[in-house]
Formats: sequence, structure tokens, C-alpha cells
Amino acid sequence: MTVGVVRGMVATRFARAVNIGVVTIVGVWHLGLDTLLVLRGWPVYEPQAAAAGAWLALAVIQATGSVLLLRSALSAHSARMLAGAALVTGVVATAAYPPGGAIGDVSWAWNTVGWFGVLLLIQRPLWELIVLLGANTAVTVGFLAADGALDHVTVSRLLAGIYTTAGIQFTFAYLARQLNDGAREATEIAAGQAEYLARATADETVHAERQRRYEYLRGRVEPLLRGLADRQLDPGDAVVRRRAAVEAARLRRLFAETDDIPHPLLHELRSCADIAERRGVRVTLLSYGDLPELPTSVRRELAEGALLVLAAAATEARVTLLATPEEVAVSVVADAPPETVVEPPGPLAVSFLCDQEGDQLWWETRYPMRPAR
Amino acid sequence: MVGDPISDATGSLTVAITDDHPVVIEGIQTWLSEEPRISVVYTGETLEVPPGVADVLILDLNLHGRLVIDAVATLAAAGQRVIAFSQFTEQRVVLEVLEAGACEFVAKNEGRAHLVNTVLAAAGDRPYVTPTAAGVLVGDRGANRPKLSSQERTALLWWFQSMSKASVARRMGVSVHTVDVYIRRARVKYAQVGRNAPTKADMLARAIEDGLVKPDDITGYESAAAGEG
Repeated sequence: MTVGVVRGMVATRFARAVNIGVVTIVGVWHLGLDTLLVLRGWPVYEPQAAAAGAWLALAVIQATGSVLLLRSALSAHSARMLAGAALVTGVVATAAYPPGGAIGDVSWAWNTVGWFGVLLLIQRPLWELIVLLGANTAVTVGFLAADGALDHVTVSRLLAGIYTTAGIQFTFAYLARQLNDGAREATEIAAGQAEYLARATADETVHAERQRRYEYLRGRVEPLLRGLADRQLDPGDAVVRRRAAVEAARLRRLFAETDDIPHPLLHELRSCADIAERRGVRVTLLSYGDLPELPTSVRRELAEGALLVLAAAATEARVTLLATPEEVAVSVVADAPPETVVEPPGPLAVSFLCDQEGDQLWWETRYPMRPAR
Repeated sequence: MVGDPISDATGSLTVAITDDHPVVIEGIQTWLSEEPRISVVYTGETLEVPPGVADVLILDLNLHGRLVIDAVATLAAAGQRVIAFSQFTEQRVVLEVLEAGACEFVAKNEGRAHLVNTVLAAAGDRPYVTPTAAGVLVGDRGANRPKLSSQERTALLWWFQSMSKASVARRMGVSVHTVDVYIRRARVKYAQVGRNAPTKADMLARAIEDGLVKPDDITGYESAAAGEG
């Protein structure tokens, strides 16, 4: 999702820069250059109202088109309507020139209408602009022909004019389009690479996690299952049964370890308790205090003692979890045989204590949150 | 339904029971009937308990679907000793009930011995801490919790874990009596937390009389800032 947002942002910002550029060009062109040309040639226009009206109408079209474009609100329909209106206005303006004046010192509308087309049709397929530029050029040619002014010199000037107006306008629009496409392509490639990297990292993590579980299964569970299959281990033997119970609880805890839930340690202890309850052991599980976030390895060591005692419990077990800012204490009391107690698991990030009273085994593991120094 | 006064009471220590499940009332009556010093004089299903009807009121915290912690405060303010008896063992609920002035909190799964011991202790304004309440107190990180000594904390934690004072005593290297003193002293310190209630004042006064605490012991509050240090 983030990648999509970034991609959209980069492409949008680039297109916006191009839009601001073309709005500025057209603004300077019409409000600056056209105004000067119209004022300078004012006495020769006939009727003068047509020249003034055309200038004003183009100013309105320009303002409307610019605002819509910059607000990203220029629809296909309004773009075409405005471009058509600009073309018609161009006809009116050209009609007010003196005969044969469609190319010359007093002509201004040809070039302007072309730039309007660039502005209004910048988001439309290129052929729409080509149509407008063609029609715009045809207006000038039509007026020259009607005036009977298409002599040798005028045709040369006309061809040069086509290069400097329609040619430049088309090139500008084409390049802007290429740049936009290039930017979009670049951001798409970058986003694709980021997505690929993220997916590869996630895949690696999942793979490492599977590898770890598989190693565990191969080392602990496989010999047990193989022994049972080969009839070297007797399912009636209490030791074998306890080993199976312990491995079942370990597997269950291992699967619970990667669950994404608010209190993973409590969740893992619950899954150990669940396995014991299925064997008919009555388990009480109590937790008080706010559990801090604990690394997976610490959770594993904290849960290990409870797991072993729960797997060995005969009928009843009490599991408690107490969290304070100083330490986290996990304890289990159960009617379990004393040989359940083995060496503490892993490095001594946790400490444990055992005590026996009658047939009750009491195991406590503590993890200091702020070790005394 | 209005409660039923019971006439054939024999023991010297009177108990009232309020619970919205008749089977629970009968169960509690059976438990208490094995203790000759106790007689149940009143049972009911609502909060309309006649004032001073018994020495101790055993109150179910969830009556007809509503938690009645505020009612505990009202009853305690009127001097009624209340034992909160509930299956809701969340830390917040237990702390609020004790803060409201209940003599003790007993979880419904904690069994006969704890309930009987609690009634006997409460009638004499003496503290009794069930393993569940011990876990709540030692895990309390509230801003105005009282300052407990390290032995008191250890005794509460191990009592919560093991439910055997003999085991705790063996592990701490002290007598069972000493373990009991640590636990009761910790509980008495909680009687000075929050709003005043006659039940709390009675417990403090009795603790001083019994020599469980000295007046100096119970004046120091542990501030929130000190708790962070």
C-alpha cells in the first residue's frame, strides 16, 4: 500500500511541475505578448470589438483552463469544449485582421490558440492536440487563401510559421509526455524493487522460522516418533508417555510463539495448560501485573519449566504469572514426580527454584527486568 | 425478593449472605455450618440488606448482571464488614473492592477453608489474605500503593504461587507464623489507602492493638515518583 502511495505521489508531483510550466508559458504569452501585439495593431483591426472580444474571451478560457488543470479537475469533456471555444475565438480574431494579415505584425491568435491547445489537451491523447493544431493552422491558411494572399513569399513565411508555432507546440507537448512517462516508469521500477526486497525479507524470515522448527522437530520429535514406529519405545511406559506429553506441549508452544497477540507469554503458557487439560489435569492459570514485551528466547526459557511440570502433572496444577517493573515470575505447582526437574534450559537469563512438599512440585522461574548491579 | 431472617442460629459469630444464585447461598451455608463458631442469620438475593443484620456480610460482587463495587463502599461506610465473594478476579476489581473498604476478597474457586478463615478473621477486624488477593497486591503498580518491605512482597508472591504457607515458610527460612505476619502486615498497609471507612479504621486499630504494626509503620506512602526510581 505504502509503495502505491509513494508511486502516486512522485508521478503526481512530476505532472504538476509540467502543468505549472505550461500554465506559466500560456499566461505570459497571452497576457504579455498578445496584449502588446493587439495594442500595437489596434488601429488596423476591423471591427475592433472583435479583436478586443477575442482577446477577452481567450483570457477567460485561459483562466478557466489553468485553474481546472492545476486543481486536477479538467475533465475530457471540458478540455475539448474549451479547446473548441479557443479555436472559434481564434477564427473571430483572425477575421478582424486587415486583408492578408493572417501572418504578420498584427496577427496574434494563431500562435496563442496553439499554446491553448497544449495547455487544455495536455492530459488527452496526443492525436487530439494534433487535430487542434491542424485545424488552427487551417484557419490561418483558409483566411490567407480567401484573401488571395497565397503568393510565393507568403507560402514560405507560412511554412516557417508552421515550424515555429505548431512544430514547437507539438514538440513541447510530446517531450512533456515523454518526461511524465519516464518519471512514472522510474518510480514504478523503484517501487517494484522495494516491494521485491520487502517480500524477499519476509520470505527469508518465514524460511528461517520454518528451518528452526524443522531443526527442533528433527532433533527431538523425530527420534520419539521413530522409536514408537520401530517398537523400540513402549507407549505403555510412563517415561515414554511423559516424553511424548512434553514434546506435544513444546510443539504447541512453538506454534503459539509466532502468533501475533498482545501477551505472547500468557498465550504460550495457556497453550501449555491446554495440552495438560486435555490429559485431564485441572489447571488454574492466574496472571497479575502488566506484562512487558519480552524477547522470544526469554519467553521460551520462562515457559520451559512450567511446560515440563505441566506435562508431568497427574491431576492438578496451578500456574501463576506475575509481572512487576523489576521482574517477571512464572511459577507452577503441581502433583508431579520430582524427577521432572532437570537442568535449567538455555543461558541463565532466568533463575529457577524448586521445592517439594508431599507430592507437590513447585517450580519458579524469574526474569529480572532491571538486574541489580 | 426480600431476604430471609434465620432464627435457629447457634454460633456467636453472625453471618449474612447475599448472592443471586440460591445454590451458591446453600453451598456457603453448608461450608460455614461445619464451623461451630459461625451461624448464618440472614440470606438474600438483593442489596436490600438490613443495617447491622450480622457481624459479617458475604456479598457476591455480581448481582443480576451488575458489578456492585459501589455498594461495597456504601455498606463499609455504614460500618458493615463485607467479604467480597466473586468469580471476577481481575486485578482492578479486587483493588477497587479493597479500596472501597471490603474486609477481604475471596475468589469463588478458592474453596471452603479460605472462606471460613476470612469470616473468622473479618469478624475480629483482623486481616486474612487469600492467594488470589496476594497476587493482586504484590502485582499492584497503582500510584498510591503502600510501601511494602521485601519480605512482605516475597511472602505475598510465594503465597500467591504455592497456596501453602508451610512451603513459603520453608523457602523463606522462617516460621509459618512469621510468614503469616508478613502477609497480614502487607494487607493492613492497604487499609490506609484511598477513602476512609469505619471497617478500615477498625482493622488498623486492631492491628496496632495486636502489635502487628506500629503506628509509625503505616504512615508512609510510596509515591508514584519513588516507585519509578
